[in-house]
Amino acid sequence: MFALIKLIQSLFGALHSEGTPGQLAAGIVLGSFLGLTPLFNLHNIFIFAALVLLNVSFAGGMLGWVLFVPIGFLLDPLFDWIGHHLLLAESLRDFWTSLYNTPIVPLTNFNNTVVLGSFVFALLLAVPLFFVLRWAVARYRMTVGERVRQSKFYRAVTASKVYNVYKMFRP
Amino acid sequence: MKIKIFRWRAVGPLLVLFVIGCLLWWVFADTILRRESQKVGTQLLGAKVEIQDLHLDLKRGDVTIRGLTIASPHEAFKNLLQADELVADIDMIPLTEKKLVVDRIVAKGLRFGTPRTTDGRVAAKSGDGIAGRVLAETREWASQFQIPVLQLATGKINIDSLDPRRLSTIPAAAALSAQADSSRRAWQAAYDSLRLGPTLDSASAALERLRHARATDLAALNDGRQAINRLKRARDRVTALDRSVKSGITQLQTGLAGLDSTRRRDYAFARSLLKLPSLDAPEIGAALFAPGAIKPFERALYCAQLARRYMPPGLLPRATTGPSRVRRAGEDVRFPKERALPAFLLRSAELSFLLHPTSDQPQQYAGRLTGLTSEPALYGRPTTFRASGPQLAAGALLDHVRGIPVDTGGATVGGITLPAFQVPGVPLRLDPGAATTQLGLTLNGDTIHALFAIRSTHARWMRDSGFANSTIGDLIWQAVSGISNLDVEARLSGALHHPDLAVRSNLDQAVASRLRAVLGEQVAAAEKQMRDRVDALINDKVGPVRAHVNEVQTQGQAQIAQQRARLDDLQKQLEQRLP
Repeated sequence: MFALIKLIQSLFGALHSEGTPGQLAAGIVLGSFLGLTPLFNLHNIFIFAALVLLNVSFAGGMLGWVLFVPIGFLLDPLFDWIGHHLLLAESLRDFWTSLYNTPIVPLTNFNNTVVLGSFVFALLLAVPLFFVLRWAVARYRMTVGERVRQSKFYRAVTASKVYNVYKMFRP
Repeated sequence: MKIKIFRWRAVGPLLVLFVIGCLLWWVFADTILRRESQKVGTQLLGAKVEIQDLHLDLKRGDVTIRGLTIASPHEAFKNLLQADELVADIDMIPLTEKKLVVDRIVAKGLRFGTPRTTDGRVAAKSGDGIAGRVLAETREWASQFQIPVLQLATGKINIDSLDPRRLSTIPAAAALSAQADSSRRAWQAAYDSLRLGPTLDSASAALERLRHARATDLAALNDGRQAINRLKRARDRVTALDRSVKSGITQLQTGLAGLDSTRRRDYAFARSLLKLPSLDAPEIGAALFAPGAIKPFERALYCAQLARRYMPPGLLPRATTGPSRVRRAGEDVRFPKERALPAFLLRSAELSFLLHPTSDQPQQYAGRLTGLTSEPALYGRPTTFRASGPQLAAGALLDHVRGIPVDTGGATVGGITLPAFQVPGVPLRLDPGAATTQLGLTLNGDTIHALFAIRSTHARWMRDSGFANSTIGDLIWQAVSGISNLDVEARLSGALHHPDLAVRSNLDQAVASRLRAVLGEQVAAAEKQMRDRVDALINDKVGPVRAHVNEVQTQGQAQIAQQRARLDDLQKQLEQRLP
């Protein structure tokens, strides 16, 4: 329940933040990498660093991460299939062999079918996802955004910050 | 409005996060490495790998492992080995390529086959991963051997289950009878088509005319000559029919002989229904010792096959199961490259270990392992292992450098007290005592040659509780109880997927002789009884058929002989009347 409230909070927090739709969309796209690919891999350090260092919505990044984790789990068989076909493709063998024998690169676990498959999937998804999200956020703010901000539901969700404070200090 | 791309104020917190990460690594590196090593080791070997303590010294490139325990993948409460301490000298540069190159390992205090309190098998229970698949394959391989079971538990000889419908002689006899009838009809038809009656009648008339004719009666003389010619032609036809009849008779006689061989097959079939004890010495050896001999072969093959999976020849990309995690493991694909380092290489390991660790005076031995690698084609040399000591000689060579891998290994260990075991099929236990055990395996491509031998001079035999009810067990007890020398040898050879197993022992002859002496008469009596029963079922059907066939033969031959005699007689009389 708490996780759900947190998710709704971060969703509204991101949607009603001062960031531009592009910043929010970019944040969610970077977060989607964290959610879609297995977390403990070297490339995700760079993704996280980018999320922190680039002027994109950090809240959006966290939202993207949370939203895409279950999708990542669901699509693991697809990632495995994509990675398997890419890694064992005859035409790419020299490329992978050279990467595999280059310092540091193997530490990214690119030679794992799920890691490579999910990364390639996230990469292909990134551009359309960015444009769709940017358009959707802008549309939301133009149409129902202000009404939502004035709604009781929004105030109730925002009020649950009290609960967060309680959680923080409870014994 | 210009949007800034970088959030420079985040650099500070990110650096702090990085420092915290480094600190956490510094504090927990040993624990993380220990857990990862346990996890990877367990996954690789298919048995629990436990490490008490692991310390990584990055400055010196050393890893020290204390209290290493590797459980047996085959036995629930046994360890494969334990080591007091392992110190590995690691080459640090290849780690940046995620390659583990160990220049040297010094292992101290190795112990083998020690007991454990928990079940350490992983692959045997889950069947997952490469180890699980190899274990399942070797188990299936071991199950192919059909070990003859000594069906001697009661010594009872039983022939109740003989079903007359399954005897071949009765339908064969019926078929022969039908064949005889068919032959008789065919011969009669052929005989009728000869039309000998008119020929004989005209010849008789010509003879009569010659008797009353004058010597100058040319017409009568011509009639006589023509009658002789007709008789000759008729005789030729009779001769042809005779040949046909003889051929038919030969077939019928062959059928009769076939009935005898069918009867012998029925005897064999009926004998197979009996629970007769085997009196063949090699079969007894296989029945007594093959189950125990297959296990070492199975384990040696498991090791060899595991080595082949983890150390495959060639430089093609190869996939292995990925690391276990919450997400799907996937597969890790390795891409070996010529003149590059392999993903794993242990250049040299010096081992010191104990045999008889629980005895008062444990014996210390030393061994050396070189060139253990995940890509033998890159390393270019085979993996070798050797160990020696006062009562031990062991060696192995895994040559996966070329396309067809060749694995050879062997060990001879003396003074090992083997556990007593139940002799299959009979209520006896054999305690080999302190024995010399020998195991050798050569796996050349898909051809296997293996030897397992146990030699002991202090073997002891024990009766089991169920002994009182077993006649055959008693016989075997009489045969073997006085034998203290034990010499068992099992050999395996041929194609790996279906090799031949041969087991011999010094007990074979003793047991076989004893069984033959005591059971020989019983067996002979049972076999006679069985033959009598088969005869009783068959003779009622076969006797009339035999008589019928004989009658058809006699009848056919007699008819031919009679007609031929008449033709000959008339021809002779006519020739006498002609000048």
